[in-house]
Amino acid sequence: MNRSAPAALALRGLVKRFDTKVAVSGLNLDVPVGSFYGLLGPNGAGKTTTLSMAVGLLRPDSGSAWVLGHDVWASPLQAKQLLGVMPDGVRLFDRLTGPELLAYHGLLRGMDPAVVDQRARELLDVLALADAGRTLVVDYSAGMKKKIALACALLHSPRLLVLDEPFEAVDPVSAALIREILQRYVGNGGTVIFSSHVLEVVERLCTHVAILAGGIIQRAGTLDEVRGDRSLEEVFVEVVGGRTATGEELAWL
Amino acid sequence: MAVTVAPAADRVTPPRVDPPRPVRTRHFVRLKLRLMGNNLRGQAWRISLFVLGVCCGLWYAVTGFVLFALPALADEPAWALPMAGIGGGLLVLGWLLLPLVFFGVDESLDPARFALLPLSRRTLVTGLFAAALVGTPAVATLVATAGLVVTAGALGGWSAALVAACGVVVGLFVCVAVSRAVTSAFATMLRSRRVRDLAAVLLALLAALLGPAQIAVINAAGRVDLDAARTVARIVGWTPLGAPYTAGVDAAEGRAWAAAVKLLIGAVTLGALLWWWSRSLESAMVGAASGGPAGGRSVPGGAVAQLFPRLLSWISRDRYGALVAREARYWWRDARRRSNLISIAVIGVFVPVMVNVGSRGMVDGGDFDASPTVLSGSMLFVGTLAALTLANQFGFDGSAYAANMIAGVPGRVELRARAVAFSLYTVPLLLAVSVVMVFFLREPAWFGVAVGSLLASYGVGLAVNMYLSILGAYALPETSNPFAINTGAGIARSLLGFVAILATAVLGVPVVVATALLGDLWLWLALPVGAAYGIGAALLGAYLAGDVLDRRMPELLLTVTPRR
Repeated sequence: MNRSAPAALALRGLVKRFDTKVAVSGLNLDVPVGSFYGLLGPNGAGKTTTLSMAVGLLRPDSGSAWVLGHDVWASPLQAKQLLGVMPDGVRLFDRLTGPELLAYHGLLRGMDPAVVDQRARELLDVLALADAGRTLVVDYSAGMKKKIALACALLHSPRLLVLDEPFEAVDPVSAALIREILQRYVGNGGTVIFSSHVLEVVERLCTHVAILAGGIIQRAGTLDEVRGDRSLEEVFVEVVGGRTATGEELAWL
Repeated sequence: MAVTVAPAADRVTPPRVDPPRPVRTRHFVRLKLRLMGNNLRGQAWRISLFVLGVCCGLWYAVTGFVLFALPALADEPAWALPMAGIGGGLLVLGWLLLPLVFFGVDESLDPARFALLPLSRRTLVTGLFAAALVGTPAVATLVATAGLVVTAGALGGWSAALVAACGVVVGLFVCVAVSRAVTSAFATMLRSRRVRDLAAVLLALLAALLGPAQIAVINAAGRVDLDAARTVARIVGWTPLGAPYTAGVDAAEGRAWAAAVKLLIGAVTLGALLWWWSRSLESAMVGAASGGPAGGRSVPGGAVAQLFPRLLSWISRDRYGALVAREARYWWRDARRRSNLISIAVIGVFVPVMVNVGSRGMVDGGDFDASPTVLSGSMLFVGTLAALTLANQFGFDGSAYAANMIAGVPGRVELRARAVAFSLYTVPLLLAVSVVMVFFLREPAWFGVAVGSLLASYGVGLAVNMYLSILGAYALPETSNPFAINTGAGIARSLLGFVAILATAVLGVPVVVATALLGDLWLWLALPVGAAYGIGAALLGAYLAGDVLDRRMPELLLTVTPRR
């Protein structure tokens, strides 16, 4: 990795405990500028907890997060300016219509109203949300909600996109569209880190992969470093150590 | 696996399925108890709140028990009927109105969660009803009304006590059923776009019943006239409000047929309420039926122009303006917030009218004693109550608040914008209340006192509630019922509300004192001084509480995110 420029996202020794359960225990990760980074992990591995701490939504018990050299928890304003976030399991202000929601996010980011109008129109057109008209976001389908959330994260053209489960509950057409948009964003010099447990998507899109299990990073590096000459699925299952075959049980199925 | 299946492969038989065991009411009750228990697990503050709630319930239960048993304890048999009729009627009325206006209902068994299970409507309604009976308010009501059994037993022996016991149980069922049926029906109406305005008016009218009820109480307490009280109780006793509770007295006084008919009235009422509830449950189970999308027609103008309501066209198109516009839209579009607005409107008009005008009608001889001080005091109450709506302002947003955190909105801007957006609705309302009051009292010169007291207490209340909304926030359940709250949140809500009211009242009292001491001079000074006091307090509150918010944003997000 290039040592001279700061990483797009650097996590150092992140720890988070909930009551007695340790969700993340001493996590380190470097996301190089210009990479398309996939954060893989089984359910409950701590992906959402990690990303929430990285973007300033959840205060870590210890450790730090840096966005392009700015400490997220010490100087949040500079860091948040460079960040676009699409959290998972978090509601949108869903009693606004799509255009209203975009305008709200744009103005909240301190953008010029004319620029907000223009970008909102383009985003709604490209994401095929322009037809929704006066429909409130709460009445959108799951896929439409993902798309409008992505539009909100992209609107102020951030340098780093942090996406939690961007492909969950999205139909194939929308997924292809989101992939296309993200690839174009990385092609223009942006950095993306997203969490997923869909290995095919990660294998197809990512330049870098990290496998998270039990609250720490088990493997991290470029896609080829991590998978070697095997398939990503084999590596993933081996690292996570799950059960892959059923035995005598379930005979009644 | 293939080895075990092979012998059966040629005769394809479906796997044997045991007939499902019927779902019984006790399963719902056990589920509710388990939910209550898990909710308390490992959280000291939740346990202490629960204990506090139980203590309040106990106090209420014992007081009620003594009151209802008093005719027997004090050997005043003539008072048995008024106590049962009027007391019981007020109890049912309270169960009807308080959940709508103040407390909400504990919907930890959200009907929507049962939508996929193969349950008949009958099983579901009886199960949910039984679960609703499990809770501090229901138990406290049962204990309180048990005093009626003592009275009936002392007057008419065992048989009367037995009838009274039946009446008490039926009465409790009616109480719980009426609170469920009415909140569920209103929730359905408030969800639907077509009738939600009608629902708002209906809710207002229902809450307005609080007024007449209060008059009745003052009336009864003001003139301790046994005959009048007996007449009222006799009438109430034949309505569903008082029928089950007066059955025991009738039995004790030898009117067995009346007792039987009254129990029947209670049972029929209960059946009707449960049927009504089951109708609205169905629509609640189908989910957030929002009356469908509002149509695909697109709107002229850019995205920014759409965000700002036409009345807000004067506000700047920046971060602050966006926050105000979004909040203003939310106070109208979110059913939970809208029902709060309606409550303020109703209470804000009725309470002062009762206190100021009502007291005139009650005093025999018409010696009218309304004064600027009384007016100022009642206005203090209204302003305090209006500001109290913001006590859990971040709870309304839930996890959506994360968007503001990600955008890095400073705490001061956030709080100022929220207060301004809410005031867009409340300040015109408060002015209207002042006009109505001055009109009722026929004292136009007192307008300044009314507005000044309102603005002062409202502004102080905003400042207090800004702190409270950050430090005492709690999560609201993500259901489509705007009246739903989490188990245990009711007592937290009441407690925090009490703290806020107390703090606001202390800070607002100088205005009332000034009204009492300064005399006519104050009639002119009240408006400018009160307004300056209120606005200054609100600005100072946003300035100071903004710092707290900046430090506590992640913790706040965690507390307002519903646990799933």
